[in-house]
Amino acid sequence: MTPKPHRVLLDRVSGYADEAAGYMRRRRAARKPFARLYYGDGRAEDHAVDSRAGGELFVAAGRLIEVAGKRPKQ
Amino acid sequence: MLEVAVVRFPGSNCDLDAVHAAEAVGAHAYLVWHRDTDLRGAAILGPGGEVLAASSDPERWRDDAAALFEVADRAGDEPVEQIHIGTEQGEVFALRHAGLAAVAVTERFALASLTFFDMRSLLRELAAGDDSKAGEE
Repeated sequence: MTPKPHRVLLDRVSGYADEAAGYMRRRRAARKPFARLYYGDGRAEDHAVDSRAGGELFVAAGRLIEVAGKRPKQ
Repeated sequence: MLEVAVVRFPGSNCDLDAVHAAEAVGAHAYLVWHRDTDLRGAAILGPGGEVLAASSDPERWRDDAAALFEVADRAGDEPVEQIHIGTEQGEVFALRHAGLAAVAVTERFALASLTFFDMRSLLRELAAGDDSKAGEE
């Protein structure tokens, strides 16, 4: 007996949901600190955390994160 | 790589299909809940670095934003246009446009493309406002 069409659809949708949730989890786990600079000509440069420029950028960013504080309550 | 944000509302239809379609053509696709608010704080700076608006202590925003742009400018051979720094504690976005600058701090994993788009739109509107005033004088 062939499954009802709506069951097939539900299975497909929940399959997509699982896949999307897995993708988001993997993305969060894999993301590491980064410092990226963009220039007027569209060029982008990454600076590693352990480089001199990268270290200075992270210190400056840390100060801004501190001044911004925590997320305001909804 | 192209980033695609798929905004979800209650009862959204085919949002996961949209994520799939974007990924199928090689983009990074994310779902974004329509009420997500990732912004923690922000400041708008004028042409001389003065604070035009800030979500908290304006003097600290002025000094810390100036320090960030100074470090970023020193890192390359020309002034930066955009800065995006992601840390464990949050993310920092900074943008220069038409002599103005905007700096924002968000939660981790904020959508960079949307955040920069919002910041650029804001600065563009501010700059256009200034231009129209200048034209009236």
